[in-house]
Amino acid sequence: MNKILEGKYAVTMDMYPLQGKEFNRIYPFYEFLKEGRLTTTACRDCGKKAFPPRVVCPECLSENLEWVDLPTRGKVLVVTEEEVGVPLGFETPLIHALIDLGGELTLFSRVVNVKQGELKEGDEVKLTVFPVDPVSVEGKKGAVNLQERVFFAFEKA
Amino acid sequence: MRNVCIIAGGQSQWGVRQATLRDMFQEAGKACFADNPAVTNKDIDGLIVGSAYTERCSFQTHLAPLVAEHLGIKPKSVCARVELLCATGSTGIIMAYGLIKSGLADVIMVIGGEKLYTPQRWEINFSELASVDHDWDGAMGLGLPPPIFAMVAKQHMKLYGTTEEQLAMVSVKNRRNGLNNRKGQFREEITLETALNARPIVRPLKLYDCCPVTDGAAAVILAVEDKARHLTDKPLVYIRGAGQASLHNMSANMANWTTWESLKIAAEQAYKTARVSPRDIDVAQTHDCFTISEIIEYEDLGFCEKGEGGYFIQEGRSDFGGQVPVNTDGGLLSCGHPFGATGIRQAIEIMRQLRGDAVRQVEGARIGLTHNLSGVIAAHTVVIYGRDLD
Repeated sequence: MNKILEGKYAVTMDMYPLQGKEFNRIYPFYEFLKEGRLTTTACRDCGKKAFPPRVVCPECLSENLEWVDLPTRGKVLVVTEEEVGVPLGFETPLIHALIDLGGELTLFSRVVNVKQGELKEGDEVKLTVFPVDPVSVEGKKGAVNLQERVFFAFEKA
Repeated sequence: MRNVCIIAGGQSQWGVRQATLRDMFQEAGKACFADNPAVTNKDIDGLIVGSAYTERCSFQTHLAPLVAEHLGIKPKSVCARVELLCATGSTGIIMAYGLIKSGLADVIMVIGGEKLYTPQRWEINFSELASVDHDWDGAMGLGLPPPIFAMVAKQHMKLYGTTEEQLAMVSVKNRRNGLNNRKGQFREEITLETALNARPIVRPLKLYDCCPVTDGAAAVILAVEDKARHLTDKPLVYIRGAGQASLHNMSANMANWTTWESLKIAAEQAYKTARVSPRDIDVAQTHDCFTISEIIEYEDLGFCEKGEGGYFIQEGRSDFGGQVPVNTDGGLLSCGHPFGATGIRQAIEIMRQLRGDAVRQVEGARIGLTHNLSGVIAAHTVVIYGRDLD
């Protein structure tokens, strides 16, 4: 990195989403995540439950949405183990699984705390939430506010 | 409505290039004009430039005027950039087709390119996090596409009995087709054994099941039929129809991993507008980003029944002399895959096949097809070309 960029934050080099309410209208998702809840938005008008969360219903275009919980336990349908080309910031091998969340949603998720060859089809997995790099947000008069962030994956139940 | 022809095409050298994005746009533009000396940069009234990673790998936006300036083109009908990741090139062609057909433009150059090799290799893997749904799939580390296509392969193998040998056969065929393609990234033949014993990337996908990362550019010129007649001495090749479809973006919303519904919709639309059926296609360039992709494309383009893609390659039906030779110039597996240029490379090969001057010629080919996919198998783009209008 160029010397002038040392210690700077650049959104174009950030692998995680901005989660604070100053930057993202679906910030409650991340607040719930900190409580161990996996949520999304459902439409109060037509009933459509969409993932990822929205600010407008993709079915009827209503803005009358509510937060609903998704299952935090699921079953592994298929496993992949990436041995080459893993992006910086992720472990090698990087393990992913197609996870059936109680028939409500099929997520292609990272699975952590498991070694290559250990995760099998049919295994039960559960949500795990972990902190990721905080973001330095510029405030007034040169103040710098550190915004904590989290993200999620699954691990063997 | 007016008829639209493809009258010239050329590409830069593809591979790991000691060149900038703009260097390669100049090379591709020159190669395109060299393909057809009857057309010059002064004949072009519109320019469409395609590039997916221009901001990430070259720190450059507002690309179209930059390319126009470098190629001595002074656009007056359109001067814009398009982006649809891996299908950027064929998207540019569809846009140009529509503009010419409608009368808004007469002669458009569509040029696409990508500079992906930057001084440190980690950057491209990291930049790939922007190609998927960044906030959801990217944050899961689904950057480079091998895990996604390995997921597809595993399910196709389980459902239909497709084998690793059949996957490898796609790679062996496309490497053989690309042997004499001077501009391609790889020009070495591989054996089935080499492919099967290569190092795993994401099992069951091994090294030769995956297309590489590539620097390169390619360009074509589209013209309204009456101008095309004066701007080329070669046989006229028409764009007969096109379709582009998308049903999801994020992986969680991909309803079916082994039947690509949006490909079927795009293909149906293209066949309908071109007034042809899958059986009429003499030669096809399909998006073989992975060997499993080409196998599913045989099925969902309607070249064979669902689940028979593995047998289609095994029985040589996609090879020269077969039902429909596929990826006759080597495809992505052999030529490489500079995102913005791939769809244009496919169009160039179909144009040459239909003109009769391809490096490896399909004898008597009169109808050709290109298929581009992009993202988490999220959008499909199909264009049909013909020597005849019906």
